[in-house]
Amino acid sequence: MSMIKYIIRRLIVLLPVLFGVITLTFILSRLMPGDPVIAHLEKFFTQEQYQAKLRELGLDKPIMVQYVIFLGDLFTGNWGNSVSVSRGHPVWDLVLDRFFRTFDIAIFAIIIAAFIGLKTGVISATHRNKAKDTVLRGFALVGVAIPVFWMGLMLQYVISFRWQLLPAVGFKTAGIGDPPTITNFRIIDCILSGNIRLLVDYLEHLILPVTCLAFITLASITRQTRSSMLEVLQQDYVRTARAKGCKEKDVINTHARKNALIPTVTIIGLNFGGLLSGAILTETTFNLHGLGEILIRSIQLTDYWVLNGIVFITTITFIVINLGVDLIYGFIDPRIRY
Amino acid sequence: MEQNYEQEPKEMEEIEEKKKKGIIKNTVSWIFSNIKFLLIPGYRLAELSSREFEYEKSVSKRKFIRRLKSTLTILGLLIVFTIVTFAVLGSWISPYTFEEANGVYDNWWAPPSPEHPLGTTKFGRDIFARLIFGAYSSLTIAIPAISFSVILGVIFGVIAGFYGGWVDSLIMRITDVFLAFPGLILALVFVAIFGQRMEYIMLAYGILGVPYYSRIIRGSVLQARELPYIQAARASGAGNWRIMFKHILPNTIQPIIISFTFDIGGIILSLAGLSFLGYSDWRLIEWGNDISNATDRLYTAPWAAVWPGIMILITVLGFMLVGDGLRDALDPRMKNL
Repeated sequence: MSMIKYIIRRLIVLLPVLFGVITLTFILSRLMPGDPVIAHLEKFFTQEQYQAKLRELGLDKPIMVQYVIFLGDLFTGNWGNSVSVSRGHPVWDLVLDRFFRTFDIAIFAIIIAAFIGLKTGVISATHRNKAKDTVLRGFALVGVAIPVFWMGLMLQYVISFRWQLLPAVGFKTAGIGDPPTITNFRIIDCILSGNIRLLVDYLEHLILPVTCLAFITLASITRQTRSSMLEVLQQDYVRTARAKGCKEKDVINTHARKNALIPTVTIIGLNFGGLLSGAILTETTFNLHGLGEILIRSIQLTDYWVLNGIVFITTITFIVINLGVDLIYGFIDPRIRY
Repeated sequence: MEQNYEQEPKEMEEIEEKKKKGIIKNTVSWIFSNIKFLLIPGYRLAELSSREFEYEKSVSKRKFIRRLKSTLTILGLLIVFTIVTFAVLGSWISPYTFEEANGVYDNWWAPPSPEHPLGTTKFGRDIFARLIFGAYSSLTIAIPAISFSVILGVIFGVIAGFYGGWVDSLIMRITDVFLAFPGLILALVFVAIFGQRMEYIMLAYGILGVPYYSRIIRGSVLQARELPYIQAARASGAGNWRIMFKHILPNTIQPIIISFTFDIGGIILSLAGLSFLGYSDWRLIEWGNDISNATDRLYTAPWAAVWPGIMILITVLGFMLVGDGLRDALDPRMKNL
């Protein structure tokens, strides 16, 4: 019960942040240069046509009224139609469709990165200043410093072009078709409809982008795990555990690692925001038509509606993930009560 | 009222004699009482006399330089030095002038040759020259941007942490809003709003960094605010602003210094991403932009994409190595991150 109370309390605290994000998005989108009305009209138009369109889009009202209408629409799910990114297409459908593609890559990357990163971080800490540690630290540092899009290009060149192992671009082979839409997650849809050929094809296309994203995330998780492990290994209870004759494996896995997890989990949550940014670059490199593509186009073409939708959905995801992280604390460390 | 600070000569002599007599006794008793400090090295730090403190300070200064002298940090410093040299002396080092590196020629996508040691990219521009000029644009955007965010972030953070109450809540809620955005999205929108000019990109990144720094510094101000030296400063009549920026700030700036160098690398990386997406100042030569141009010809002219990427990687790595080294040296507790 206390957990539900905690979640509710957290959500109430989050409300002003969410409100601020929405307001900021609104202000920023209205500040953008360019006129969405012109994008919506034919090449030649009269003043009357312009005014009519302006009224239709609701842009003739005072800015405060527009803001209130915008807020109301956002929460009733009426996100309007895209103006210039995808003419007339409802924003909700467009954004949600693209969002799941990006989310697929991001979630795979973070799961892989978390698993490997925790392992490598612990190894690095227990073999401190030895050869293994030096190599892992080197990798981690390169991972933090490497431009993700460049890494994607290099992988494309070596693996797809030179060795011809994996497809270089796109999220499916052209003309292979789509599974029936059930959950919007392509993988789950493929499994549910029992279409193995589509599933394999999709997974093949996912490998390279996920590798890129996972590598950069992995690096920061490894660094964080290593440092918190090193700190924990100096604690008294680790010495006690060793003194009472625990096996070194048990000392590390049960006594030390659990206590080192909290900062690492925080970093994983925070990384998710970075991951969404990284996903934009990775998508551009691998030509996956995800959120990043419509984000850039909505900025270039001044499509307020699409831009607001994207920002809203990414921010909500980010906030929810970090809330989830806070809840995970309770599982890792039973002393934390909500 | 007059006070006589000097003691009587007789008394002084007596004290001197007592001291001489007791010197062995004192030493022995000191050793006995302090044996725990001598045997357990960490124990000593808690009870330092002022002279011991001075001694420790000079030792730690020497240790600082010794710690800074790790191989990786030296490597990082060398890289940073090279990049700064490229940025400052670019026109002297590069085989072509800035205009020539931006010109239009016949031999597009040419492989490496004596005239073009690393080959040419789009419009037949020399890659090597563009690598060197790229250093200039990376640094001229990254350093002012980060200075801007450090200065504003520190001011907001100190004010929020010091005053607390509604000022704190207000500043921190605004910070939360900015931090809830994925960074690259905000950067893209800012650059789109301000326009694709160098100054505006700087400004956009400057604004983006402010909430981050103000949050870091607020945390340490909250700790420092309760310490006795602040009470002492207040008792001797210092005003709020004086306490904030003369007493608290120097004692809380360390995490910022550590994160500063590291973040220059981060900004260069992020800038490269932005220019890869096409949001760069067209007047400048940028590595990310070069990679973006080379993507179409990745399979026929890979050198055009490889070199700018390596350059970004090395530059960012250099700054991060120096940042790591600085942290190890300044804050040994945080070592090994």
